[in-house]
Amino acid sequence: MFAYIIRRVMVAVPTLLLLIVASFFLMHLAPGGPFTSERPLPPAVLANIEARYGLDQPLLVQLWDYMTNIILHFDFGPSFKFKDRDVNDIIAQGFPISLTYGSLSFLVATIAGISLGIAAAIKHNSWIDYTAVSLGIAAQALPNFIMGPILILTFTLWLGLLPGGGWNGGQWQYLIMPVIALATSYIGNITRITRSSMLEVMNSNFIRTARAKGLPQRTVIWRHAMKPTLLPVISYLGPVFVYVLTGSVFVDLYFSTGGLGQSYVNSALTRDYAVLLGVTILYGALTIFVNLLTDLAYAWFDPKIRY
Amino acid sequence: MKQMTKLMLTTVLSASVMTGASFAAGTHPTTGEPLADDQTFTYRVLDEHSSVDPQVVEDVSGSEIVRDLFEGLMNQDENGELVPGVATGYDVSEDKLTYTFHLRPEAVWSNGDPVVAGDFVFAWRRAADPALASPYQWFIELMSLENASEIVAGDMAPEELGVTAVDDHTLEVKLTAPLPYFPYMTTHATTFPSPQKVIEEFGEEWTRPENIVSNGAYILTEHLPNERSVRERNEMYWDNENTIIDKVVALVINDENVALTRYLAGELDRTEVPAGQYPRLHEEYPDEAISFPRLCNYYYTFNLSDSGPEAFKDVNVRKALALAVDRKIIVENILAGGQPEAYTFTPEAVAGFTPPTVPMAEMTQADRDAMATELLAEAGYGSDNPLSFSLVYNTSEAHEKIAVALSQMWKQKLGAEVELANMEWKVFLEERGNQNFELARGAWCGDYNEASTFLDLLDSQSGYNDGKYSNEEYDSLLEAAKTAEDTTPLYTSAEQILAEEMPVIPIYHYAGVYMMDSDVGNWPVNNVEQNWYSKNLYKIAE
Repeated sequence: MFAYIIRRVMVAVPTLLLLIVASFFLMHLAPGGPFTSERPLPPAVLANIEARYGLDQPLLVQLWDYMTNIILHFDFGPSFKFKDRDVNDIIAQGFPISLTYGSLSFLVATIAGISLGIAAAIKHNSWIDYTAVSLGIAAQALPNFIMGPILILTFTLWLGLLPGGGWNGGQWQYLIMPVIALATSYIGNITRITRSSMLEVMNSNFIRTARAKGLPQRTVIWRHAMKPTLLPVISYLGPVFVYVLTGSVFVDLYFSTGGLGQSYVNSALTRDYAVLLGVTILYGALTIFVNLLTDLAYAWFDPKIRY
Repeated sequence: MKQMTKLMLTTVLSASVMTGASFAAGTHPTTGEPLADDQTFTYRVLDEHSSVDPQVVEDVSGSEIVRDLFEGLMNQDENGELVPGVATGYDVSEDKLTYTFHLRPEAVWSNGDPVVAGDFVFAWRRAADPALASPYQWFIELMSLENASEIVAGDMAPEELGVTAVDDHTLEVKLTAPLPYFPYMTTHATTFPSPQKVIEEFGEEWTRPENIVSNGAYILTEHLPNERSVRERNEMYWDNENTIIDKVVALVINDENVALTRYLAGELDRTEVPAGQYPRLHEEYPDEAISFPRLCNYYYTFNLSDSGPEAFKDVNVRKALALAVDRKIIVENILAGGQPEAYTFTPEAVAGFTPPTVPMAEMTQADRDAMATELLAEAGYGSDNPLSFSLVYNTSEAHEKIAVALSQMWKQKLGAEVELANMEWKVFLEERGNQNFELARGAWCGDYNEASTFLDLLDSQSGYNDGKYSNEEYDSLLEAAKTAEDTTPLYTSAEQILAEEMPVIPIYHYAGVYMMDSDVGNWPVNNVEQNWYSKNLYKIAE
């Protein structure tokens, strides 16, 4: 197990490096730069600014400086747009917000999805099953950019119950709509996967054996059927966790949460290179880490898997 | 001989006479309106501001905050006229090259230090200093301060800048050209003072709420990037007793429709009206939906450089395209927010500018269409040889609607084949700046309230002249206007040249189209630059 983790981490490092190098060059390939503006800067001024940020150096030198700063000082560089903040500040400020929304949405989607899926499978072909499946499909058909406007119009404008956006120190009223908007579409998928997995497990031989032993239904489900049912769900949940964090981009923009999504999109539009790279690296590292966790979780859920 | 510029001393006097017990009684000192208990003004901004450092800030939303946090030599009133700020007034020398500003002794920073002439000297040098590399370095050059260009280019030390502190309360400024609008430039954020001690102590982080020291009517108390920024009454401000609004909250809301919903739900006091929604909102909320002229133009520019199409080198083609644009449809059916139709490059709202009568403006659309067909035929284009070109604009729903409408007009009236292409903003700027286009969208908002801020764009030497229009007579008119006593005939001639040569197609001039809570008092709708100061606003009790 330990050797496996070491092996994975050793693969992760070159993966991240590759991600940084590729993003770096792709970013510089896009036309325009951080200081391209409708009001072109006089050459002397532009030269001053570029010199200050080291943008007058050859790309390879810039890449080298960037990498050494990260490795030696854990410094992801300055923001070109926001003069009083560097990338570390921007991430330190926005990431906890995105993480809050992401984790809450993940919890909501997982709990709701698994419960609906299990209920549907246990009461197969009953009204509970049909309702759960319909709810799941409806949820899947409501991506966050549809849910956002529906929620705001309903709860902010018509009912006047919830504030239409913002963070305001993370008060619960401000969290509800973004979390629902973000979680909805995943509930559908999780329901579907859980249901079909549970149905398959309930028809397998070891469940028949458990029943034959005379175990009550409850024990059969919780003790024996649960773990194997959740295996395919887990493999789906890993990416979902990353999706809700990165997918919070829309929610961040729409509900003005102050989360990292806004910085991500805006830095791409304004060519704020260091911010864009910093957030890309963060999301990349997170993806690699969550995938590792998912793989380790397999071992716990499935006795057949050993690392 | 020095000539004392009489500066609204009366304004100051009358303002101080009127202050007093009235706020406690809850009524406005001059209008007598009942004041709300909660004097908080909340408004929407589209994007996070770049900075609140006066010498660094480059965007409108940042400048709005900076105008509240800091105070420059002069301020603007509700009509955009100059009123005293930190300076009580100024003298100007006979040759108009030396200005002497007199600073009020009672002005202090939020930490209690006096605001002195040295603070301005420090700030102006800082703005010019290549070490700061401010994106607004060019503004110091534009002000024509002595040695500004040399300092910006790095050939001279910032200490050589033509600004000196004669004593703590006297600031002397030396110019290289007698700019008639120089005093107005001191209302721009770049010229506001900055606190040397604080900047030296905290470096770039001096503008954070926990570090910042400012001299305006408000201090920055909270800032969550991309979410909100809050400024609250500065008790140390010299005119604090006349400030009514206690707290100003700027909320970042990217989506204008969400902003409108949140406005309607009562979360905001001000937001922009999305394009096309003004008529409906104005009918439903007549007191809240407001529209007023702005200092911005919207135009299409021909690529007249060597890389541009041959057809556009023919003035008849350019005129035909300009004539065939039915501006009424654009402003009434697409924008629908009270925007004026444009036949001149400079908006009519510009101070001291009377738009010259250009022939196109006088004609009916039917006459224009007939003339357009005629001119295009003269240029050799018709059904057998249709004119075809491409039009680029930056990606946006409103720009797309206008581009589609115009291409339809040109197709129906002139048989022209127009290929539309949209590009992401930075790509668009890069392509347009490198003359990789045929016809391109353009828009400009004035940096100051004078026609040259627009007309300079088409000067052959201008860095913003993406269409590479060049006309010696036009250039010399603008050169003469820089020092002329009466600029009106010069600007009129310049506009007439543009109307004759049509290097750009003016389409419309902007309007500020807002939803503004009727509780907000004294919003400066007549200030075309929309330089508003929270200290002049108030909230009326409902």
